[in-house]
Order: sequence, then C-alpha cells, then structure tokens
Amino acid sequence: MTVFKYFLKIALKNKWIIIMYISIFFVMTLLNSTDAMKREEAFEETRLNIGIIDKSNSELSSSLKDYLKEKNNIVATKEDEEYIKEQIFLEIADAVIIIPEDFTERVIEKEEAIIIYKDDRKPHSIQIENQINKFLAFANITYQNGQFALGDVKEALKENTQVHVLSKSGFFENSSIETWFRYYFNFTGYVILAVYIAIIGIVMSDFRDERIDNRRKISSKKLLEFNKEIYLGQLTLAIAVTSVFIIASILLMGRYIGHIYYIKYLINLMVFSLSILCLTFLINNITRNKHVITTLSTVLSLGSSFISGVMVPQELLGEKVLLVAKFFPVYYFVRINDAVINSLSEVAFELFMQVLFAVAFLLLGLMFSKKAQRI
Amino acid sequence: MVVKVKNVVKRYEEKIALDHFNMEVNEGEILGLLGPNGCGKTTAINCILSLLKFDKGEIQVFGRKMTPNSYDIKRQIGLVPQEVSVFENLTVKENIDYFCGLYIDDKNTRRQYVEEAIEFVGLKDYVRFYPRKLSGGLKRRLNIACGIVHKPKLIFLDEPTVAVDAQSRNFILEGIKKLNREGSTVIYTTHYLEEAEMLCNRIIIMDNGKDIASGTIEELKAMITTLEKIVVRFVNIEDEVINKMYKIPHVIDIERNGEDFIIKFENGINNLSNLLSFIAEYNLTYIKLYSQLPTLNDVFLELTGKELRD
Ligand SMILES: Nc1ncnc2c1ncn2[C@@H]1O[C@H](COP(=O)(O)OP(=O)(O)OP(=O)(O)O)[C@@H](O)[C@H]1O
Ligand SMILES: [Mg+2]
Repeated sequence: MTVFKYFLKIALKNKWIIIMYISIFFVMTLLNSTDAMKREEAFEETRLNIGIIDKSNSELSSSLKDYLKEKNNIVATKEDEEYIKEQIFLEIADAVIIIPEDFTERVIEKEEAIIIYKDDRKPHSIQIENQINKFLAFANITYQNGQFALGDVKEALKENTQVHVLSKSGFFENSSIETWFRYYFNFTGYVILAVYIAIIGIVMSDFRDERIDNRRKISSKKLLEFNKEIYLGQLTLAIAVTSVFIIASILLMGRYIGHIYYIKYLINLMVFSLSILCLTFLINNITRNKHVITTLSTVLSLGSSFISGVMVPQELLGEKVLLVAKFFPVYYFVRINDAVINSLSEVAFELFMQVLFAVAFLLLGLMFSKKAQRI
Repeated sequence: MVVKVKNVVKRYEEKIALDHFNMEVNEGEILGLLGPNGCGKTTAINCILSLLKFDKGEIQVFGRKMTPNSYDIKRQIGLVPQEVSVFENLTVKENIDYFCGLYIDDKNTRRQYVEEAIEFVGLKDYVRFYPRKLSGGLKRRLNIACGIVHKPKLIFLDEPTVAVDAQSRNFILEGIKKLNREGSTVIYTTHYLEEAEMLCNRIIIMDNGKDIASGTIEELKAMITTLEKIVVRFVNIEDEVINKMYKIPHVIDIERNGEDFIIKFENGINNLSNLLSFIAEYNLTYIKLYSQLPTLNDVFLELTGKELRD
C-alpha cells in the first residue's frame, strides 16, 4: 500500500489548498448565519421596497395592497420578468408581487394565489411572504356567503396578535433554518468542486509525471495494483473532504436537523461528490499540467456554481444562463437543495442526472486514458 | 547472458534512433555504452526495458523475451534514468521509500533497504530534505538511490555523472564498482571516455544508432593502426631530417602541430629508444619529448572519423 500511502502524503503536503478553500467557506457561512439571525429578529420591523402588479383589481386585492403599503414602501415596477429580476438583482426592489386576475377565486379555493419574486439572500425577504400569508389567512377566516369581511381583517391585522400562520409543509416556521441549510450545502458544492479538482489533480500530476511514471512502468508493480491504490487514495481524500462539510453542518446546526429534511441534503451531497470525483478523473486523463489543473479548478467551480445558482438564486438567473447550467451537475445539485420536498422521489430526476454525469465523465475519462496509452 | 539485443531498429517518425543495434551483456560485468550525444544510448535502454516499442529485432533479458508485463524480470532490474526522476513534494527518504515500495511490499525489508540505500549514496544527513534543496550532485545521488534501493541484479545507469562535481562523481563511480563487486551486472552509458576506461570491463562504442565496436579496452585499442604517438619539439630541425625520420622502424605518419611533431607508430614496442637513437645519430636538440599510448578517443576517432569530446 505504498502508493496509497504516498498518494495521501502528497495530498497532505498540498493541504494549504484545502485549508484555504475550507476557511473561505466557513467565514462565508459564519457571515451568512449572522445574516440569518438578523432575518429572524427583524421580522416585523423593517420596511421593504416592494413592487406590486395588481391584475385582479378586486376589493380583496386593493385591501391587500393597502395593508402592504402600510408596512412597506412601494416602488414602481412593470410586468416583465426580466425587468423584475433586474430590479431585484440591482436591489431596487426587495420583492415584487404579482396579483393574478383570478386572485379572489384562488384565495377562495385556497390555491397558490400570488407570484412573488424576491431575493432569498436578503434577511427580510421572508417577511413579505409572511405578511401576505397572514392577510390571506385572515381573509379566508372571514369568508362567508361569498363575501370577505375585509373590515374585520384590517382590524385583526392591526391588533398585532400572535398569529400562527400555517402553510404547506410548515415551510414558514422553518424557513430561516431551511435557508441556512440550502446556502450551506449549495456553497459546499462549490467548494467541493474546487477542492476535488485542485487537490486530486495536483497529486495526480505528480504521479503522472512522465519521468516518475517511467519508474513505475519499469518496476514490478502491476498496473492494476497501482491503479487500485491510486483510486482508493482519491476516494479516501474525497470522502474526507466531503465529511468535513457534513460534520461541520451537524456541529453548527445539528439541533435543527430534526426540523428539516436533512437526509435530502446528505444524499444529494454524496451523489454530487461522486459526480465531481468522476469529473476529476476525466480532467486528470486530459491533462497533467498543474497550471491547467488549478486554472480549471477555479474557472469550473466558480463558473458553473455561479450559473447554477449557488451565488445567486436560480430564479434570478436568465433562462439562457440556466440552459447552459443544465450541462453541469451543479445545476441539479442546487435544484435539489432548493426544492421543498417530502420525499426523495420528488427529486429522482435531479439525482439521476447527477449519476448520469458521473457515468459520462467516467466513460470519457476512460476514452482519454486509452488514447494516452496508445502513444 | 543477462541481456541480449539483436538487430534492433527503432524509428522516431523520420529519425532512425537505433539502426540494427546489437548488444550482449554478461553476468557480473560492467558494460560501458559509449557514444556521443544523440547516438541512441537512452533509446537503447528504454527499448530493453520495454518503455519503448521498437520496430524490428529481438531483445532478451535473463534469457527471456522482455514485455511490459514481465513483472518477475522487472523485479531484478534497476534503472537510474538520465534525468533526475523524483517527487519534488517528497523528501529524500520518502522518495526512496516510495520507489522501493514499487518492488517490495514487506515493511521491515523495505525499511532496511531504504536505510542501506541512504547509507550507500551518502545522504544520511539529508533524509528530510526536499529535492529542490539538494545540490546537483546530491540530487544525482538521490536519483541513484531510488534506482538501486530494491537491490536489483541488473542495473542500468544512464549518464549518472552528467553535470556532477568531481567529488560526487568519484563517489558515484566508486559506488558503482561496489555494486558490481556485490554481484550486480551494470550497464553504464556515458560519453566520458575517462569514465568508461576507468570503470568498465567491456565497452560498446555507439554512433548513429549502431554498435560500431565492442570489446575490452585492450581489444578496442588493438583495433586501431596507431598504437603509439610520440610528441617531440626540437630546437632546430631541417625538413630533410624530418623526412629521414620516416625511416625509423614502424613510423606510419608524422603530423605537425605548431612547433610540435606528432610521430605515429604502428606498434608499441621500443619506439622511444629507436627515436632517441635517431636523435643521437643526427645530433638533434629537443626541449620536450613524451609518449602517448592510444586512448579510447583515438579508437573512436579512427572508427568514426570524429572526436568524442564535449
Ligand atoms: N521522443 C523522441 N521523438 C523523436 N526523436 C527522438 C525522441 N527521443 C529521442 N529522439 C532522437 O533519437 C536520437 C537518440 O536519442 P537518445 O536520447 O537515445 O540519445 P542518447 O545517446 O541518449 O543521447 P544523450 O547522450 O544526449 O543522452 C536523437 O537524435 C534524438 O534526437
Ligand atoms: Mg541519453
């Protein structure tokens, strides 16, 4: 097991790369979690800048508008998705809501009634959702004989009583915890991508150095044995890096794990790690140049993470960007983290896509390695 | 026969690197592979070790055909490559241990072998050094240690003393003799004549991918016609007298190099006393006079028509 041992030894000699990425990650996480804290404190206080597009023009919708106006500043907007996304991206509006034409009917039917664009990264963005839900909850209570008692609703809202607003799957109660985990794991994806490619690539470029590989070739070490130990080394390293993030998530937020669907994040991260391990296999079969590898590590991780919604939520990215993102496993990884689900089968497609990427990377890598052997 | 190379042809695209190359190595000897830069020494070694495929011919090692999967043959072979081939990210000791581990699984044996190799190349004080912190000579020693740590029976050393200071060079050459005394067969490539002459039992002279001569040093020297050169400088001499010198027994040629005359003899017996009698007879005065026995350079010069010098 000398090869295995020295694989890990050389990896450890490059530990600064891992340490650097992991420190950046935890500094970001720490900043993010103080943000999340603020989010909770500031729940009822902050006035947000919101845009409202009212296509319903009903009694109910104008009453909602009045209520929101009391609590927030209204900014002008227009009904154009690109325009709205830009307003939010540029922080002109914290949220934009669209009240559909059939708003009243939807409320009566207890269907999803309002479209909200918001920046999930903003500590207060959840507040607007809460206000709307509160309003609609009261409105629903007062609905009788085809009529809303909007006057009562207004009074009730003024009373500022502690109202428990329930929505599907208890999402709002846990939203800030859920959000924390979402960002934590999305960002973990970025770091794993960068660290795997960089560290495994750098170690492999040492082993694949022609002069050193020639010494291996003339030795009595069987190629199969050698490869086994090398890949065992890669796997060990990968598991170690991924475990750091899993363990840290438990250490930091372990007390909330019971409140969320933690297993989703766990399985998603493992499948994602596998696909990235296969990606590094492919890269290592294409090049053994250290500079190319470190550049690829930075460009691929930052690039594909950004367009896949790690830094900016997917809802705020253009369709064309997301179309490109679909060619990277990060996209599916982020989708699963962002999805509100009750069972893994709801994200089977996204899981499958990541496995598919893993297989494709593996096959391509094998193809390149065959080609390299022939020369 | 430990190694047998027969009519091997190796082409790189256009260039023919080995042109019907032949070589035989006997057990227990130090064989020198001597030839100028680019003559195909490294290529020959790489073909023998199956690092390179060749186009024609046959290679046997320990009496068997060598293939990339001949792991039991490979176990007996060590290579010290021309370029220093070690991990920059591992220390001296780690490097030696890693390359030893490619041959030897047993931990205790390996520990012992690594210690012995470190001792052997004199890197005891440098075990924790990274290669980049080693001087050129010490790096070469590390390169050697990595190649011989598993105690191979057959060792290839590809110009292990290139760009090495005199101290390390002597250390290395002595080490190779020691390995040979301990029973290893050594194949040593070089373009330094003095090294080949000092170290090798037998030499194969290579040029342009061909083996142009082989034998012991004496055998090689016997192949050429000029067996002794006497260099002499006279105070004053007339052309007429010079012409008379051709009458001295065995003189085949007289060259002039500035004020010096180089008198070439076709055998090596009594030439000096014959010349001295001639000098006495003609009452000549000389200010310098010395005899040179042929060197490998003369052999090389005569066989290829060019000098083998850096
Ligand atoms: N990979 C290659 N592709 C093309 N030509 C090559 C290659 N390797 C070596 N050659 C050529 O083959 C010839 C023999 O090279 P080789 O390295 O065997 O010489 P050498 O005797 O070891 O020289 P040196 O003393 O400089 O090490 C040279 O002319 C060289 O340019
Ligand atoms: Mg060479």
